[in-house]
Amino acid sequence: MKLVGIAGSIADQSYNRTLLNFMSKHCEGVVDIEVLDINQVPMFSQDDDQTNSSVIQKLSNKIKSADGVIIATPEHNHTVPAALKNVIEWLSYEIHPFDGKPVMIVGASYHTQGSSRAQLHLRQILEAPGVNAVVLPGNEFLLGNVKTAFDENGDLKDQRTIDFLDTTLQKFIKFAKVINMIDADDYEKEDLSATGKTDTTVEGVDMDDPDWLNKAAEKVNAVEGDTYVKLDSGLLTVNQLNYMLKTTPIELTYVDENNQFIYYNRFLPTEKMLAKRTPDQVGDSLTAVHPGKERVIKHVKQVIHMLRSGKTDLVSMPVPGGDSDHHVMHYYKAMHDEEGSYKGVNEWAVDLKPIVNEYLKQTGQMLVPDPNAKVDATSGASKKPEASVDATASASKEETEEIKPEVDATSSASKH
Amino acid sequence: MNKFIAIVGSNSNKSTNRELLKYMKKRFQSAAEIELVEIKNLPIYKKSADKYVPQEALDIAAKIEAADGVIIATPEYDHSIPAALSSALAWLSYGIHPFVDKPVMITGASYGSLGSSRAQAQLRQILDSPELKARIMPSSEFLLGHSLQAFDENGDLKDEKIIKQLDGLFQDFLDFVNISKQLNNANEVNKQKAKEFSWDKD
Repeated sequence: MKLVGIAGSIADQSYNRTLLNFMSKHCEGVVDIEVLDINQVPMFSQDDDQTNSSVIQKLSNKIKSADGVIIATPEHNHTVPAALKNVIEWLSYEIHPFDGKPVMIVGASYHTQGSSRAQLHLRQILEAPGVNAVVLPGNEFLLGNVKTAFDENGDLKDQRTIDFLDTTLQKFIKFAKVINMIDADDYEKEDLSATGKTDTTVEGVDMDDPDWLNKAAEKVNAVEGDTYVKLDSGLLTVNQLNYMLKTTPIELTYVDENNQFIYYNRFLPTEKMLAKRTPDQVGDSLTAVHPGKERVIKHVKQVIHMLRSGKTDLVSMPVPGGDSDHHVMHYYKAMHDEEGSYKGVNEWAVDLKPIVNEYLKQTGQMLVPDPNAKVDATSGASKKPEASVDATASASKEETEEIKPEVDATSSASKH
Repeated sequence: MNKFIAIVGSNSNKSTNRELLKYMKKRFQSAAEIELVEIKNLPIYKKSADKYVPQEALDIAAKIEAADGVIIATPEYDHSIPAALSSALAWLSYGIHPFVDKPVMITGASYGSLGSSRAQAQLRQILDSPELKARIMPSSEFLLGHSLQAFDENGDLKDEKIIKQLDGLFQDFLDFVNISKQLNNANEVNKQKAKEFSWDKD
């Protein structure tokens, strides 16, 4: 589970930040808590809408992709700090990342009251319609007399306090799971027909047109040939880019955030590809590349929703029906811009078996069955992966087998 | 004549709370001198080692010190007062204590029907905190709902019933201010306590 923590203070020295950092450290391995920084957030003003600024987009994206939020608030003048309220105002004006999000409130203060009144105000604020967070009821964690609560390593000293914090956090983790289940079928809203548009969508060209590439390129005056393109770590011409991508021995596919299939690296002729694509498919919506395959469509929606919502950064799936010479894997990696906004899927297909064979040959080893293995090792021995035109983000060979996407547990904890 | 400082609780250029205070200034000009004060140029409140307070906040504090009372008009953002107002009040209680025992009248306008009721309730609690310790007029809610439709082209309130209520409350506030002036036996002690209090103290 992935949580983000917001310390409600922008003071240089903040015990609420110390508390969150302690929770993050203390719960390592159980839950991933990333503490966010709100120091650079400008003053909210309706006259100067900065919703699209990098600092606010980053916060919003972090919150959106988290399973829950922990807010640690001090108390100032019987309420939450203006700096914290300010962040919530930005995040409830034009965008609403807290909507439906499980939130846990904790607070530290210098006084015996431990931010009790600020926490009550914060509950009211988080319940406002524009915010609409789902706050864990009860379970108040008030850390009073905070100056003496931590040791020099920033660890809480009192074991009973730690135990209580653990119990509260355990309840919150369960609470977050339950609340997030309410949105479990949100994936159905994924629009695979790509009827929406993003700032890079080429308008005025039919997506399903077999000649989409040429027509769309003309429309946007795309550069080609020996024109230079400046990349973030290199300078190449379009030709050079093509040379490199076409000799990259992995089948690469780009699906943008609008679910439009806009590129593949065509290093093999279609009939030799592990996941068949044809040049005339480029530009198609994902619905168009999966005609009439309802179950496949459902899986594609699930995979893309997981990546878009940030539940995971990487989904990996073996293609069923491999034999002893082939083990084809499909990987779906979420792409993000600098602010962490979802930019689409980088999908790649690769046959792992030749790589394993090479390794065995070089190191003089051989494969033997693992008697304790839980996978059905024999089932795949019948035939090669079927040559179905199964372009982009399809989760199963055909509609015959239902495969649960395996979420890569280690990659989901990564920070982008 | 009493002199009042009227704080516009919104930092927005278009604010019906500002309109409300402007209307009050005009309507009650024979009974009191009301000066509108803006908070929109104040930076967001942040503590510092040297307890720095921006000059603009010091200027507002001086005006409040010199005034007989303060009127605050607050909008409601997310069930509470705007961060901009909260931030201003934090500056106005950071090593300076202009609000201690100062009579305060709370008003508020909102586009919806509730007229900032929840923000006003929180504002009362905030003004009651140790470093502000204002003397808030009790039992005197003035909630102006549907504020976009409330004023005519001259900036005057249209609804006679609402005007009557505001007239009554303002008369009450004048009386409250006069009574307050006789209730200052503990003022010195209160100021001292506010000075000694700190949210950061052990």
